[in-house]
Amino acid sequence: MRTSQKIATALLAALGVAASTSAPAADPMAGRLLASQCAQCHGTDGHAVSGFESLAGESVEEIIKEFREMRADTTPDIMDLQARGYTEEQVRLIAEFFAAQPHSGSDD
Amino acid sequence: MNGFTRRQFLKLLGATSAFAAAPPALRAATTAPRVVIIGGGFGGATLAKYLKHWGGNIDVTLVDANASHYSCILSNLVVTNAIPMSRITLSYANLAGKYGVTVLKDMAVAIDPDGHKVTLASGMVLPYDRLVLAPGIDFVPIPGWDPNLAPHAWQAGPQTTLLKNQLAAMPTGEFFVMTVPKSPYRCPPGPYERACVVADYLKRRKPGSKVILLDANPGITAEPHNFGTAFSTIYKDVIEYYTNASVLEVDSVNKVVLTSIGSFGGAVLNIIPNQQAGKIVRDTGLTTDPTGRWAPVDVLNYASTTYPDIHVLGDSQASTQPKSGHMASSQAKVCADAMLRGFAGGAPYPAPVTNSACYSPITASTASWLTAVYQYDPASKAMKLVPAAFGEAPAPSGDNYQDMFKWADNIFADSFM
Repeated sequence: MRTSQKIATALLAALGVAASTSAPAADPMAGRLLASQCAQCHGTDGHAVSGFESLAGESVEEIIKEFREMRADTTPDIMDLQARGYTEEQVRLIAEFFAAQPHSGSDD
Repeated sequence: MNGFTRRQFLKLLGATSAFAAAPPALRAATTAPRVVIIGGGFGGATLAKYLKHWGGNIDVTLVDANASHYSCILSNLVVTNAIPMSRITLSYANLAGKYGVTVLKDMAVAIDPDGHKVTLASGMVLPYDRLVLAPGIDFVPIPGWDPNLAPHAWQAGPQTTLLKNQLAAMPTGEFFVMTVPKSPYRCPPGPYERACVVADYLKRRKPGSKVILLDANPGITAEPHNFGTAFSTIYKDVIEYYTNASVLEVDSVNKVVLTSIGSFGGAVLNIIPNQQAGKIVRDTGLTTDPTGRWAPVDVLNYASTTYPDIHVLGDSQASTQPKSGHMASSQAKVCADAMLRGFAGGAPYPAPVTNSACYSPITASTASWLTAVYQYDPASKAMKLVPAAFGEAPAPSGDNYQDMFKWADNIFADSFM
């Protein structure tokens, strides 16, 4: 964590705002909105009903790792291209939202 | 991870103070805001569901002319009898029973923007705090065109069944003539997808028959690689593809269409006309874009630029985003979030993202896909395509055909269940 970020986090904590490692995370609804854009294929709140991977309950690290792998794929499939549409910051917010959802046990 | 700049931090502090000044519970505790949604397609249904799923204490009413929604997604497979109509029939029962949405089988006939009231065909008058218009598309009339004789099947339901029956009854060796509307229209890959699945059906069931595809555009609008390859290889002897063919007049009885490049007749005439926003959007004076057909909106919350408490979602709105069920659902979530923030005294999320993903059958066992992501661009105040995230499948495949049903099941559930 950078120094400026540490200060900001400490200040926000002092203000009674949920401390976080990323700027827009101070807006608790941002991750929910961004993650909702995955739901058309991965189910409401990450609980897929059919076939595609359920993201609910996956760890932040795992989701971020998957995004990085998909972006690096040289013969991109549909999700490999989708992954290239989001910033690092947005991916983290999405990952944090799904990680906080109860696991549904219907992994692909 | 990106660094945390001083500017971002100052912005954050600002946002924090604003939040503290307007506690969300205060507004919610006094009265439940009333949201009336006209149109229960993917946009309207998703908005109704997510307002309740995220918001709870919102009085949501969804008005649609039909008792269920017939999905255009997968509907070309109903035309070729690959799947039954029941597969694309989506009930509003969950929106009512699980989420507490009031669902009315009715139609909006008049809106009073100043009085915040909408009048329905039944005579019922609904007051609203926010009105959302998501009626989908309407067709631009063509001289001589009767959709009961030359179906569009571009709004699923009885029209899909009519085209299916006409295709089944078509004599072997005859022509299936179809038109592609001038862009923008609902579902850019859709007409080419239909040409492909009909051609596949004719090849197997009525060999020697042909699809005459008359495109008002200068070339294939979406997935030019996959559809272009299909037209020139597997359907080389089945599909005749013509460009720059604007429809001028239709002889519905004799099934002949007059276009800017000549007249074409066939045993089946599938006219997909040029399109515009739904009637209620036009009648309310919202279609103020340069073409006069679509309603400009603020893409941070989908509020009409004419009346800020009337929102327009999906096909009827004018923005950089393509017209499709997936996009309408995507926009509905941005709209729901912005509306809930608004009820709590806040501003819309300043950096929304929307996306589109869809699968198109190319044969009875293969499909392609198309995907796009849009990021909000503060400079142009528009949703901007991310070029690196845009593309079509390298080739149709059997795996894609299976994934098409997984996608459909998930978007059906995310929007309606």
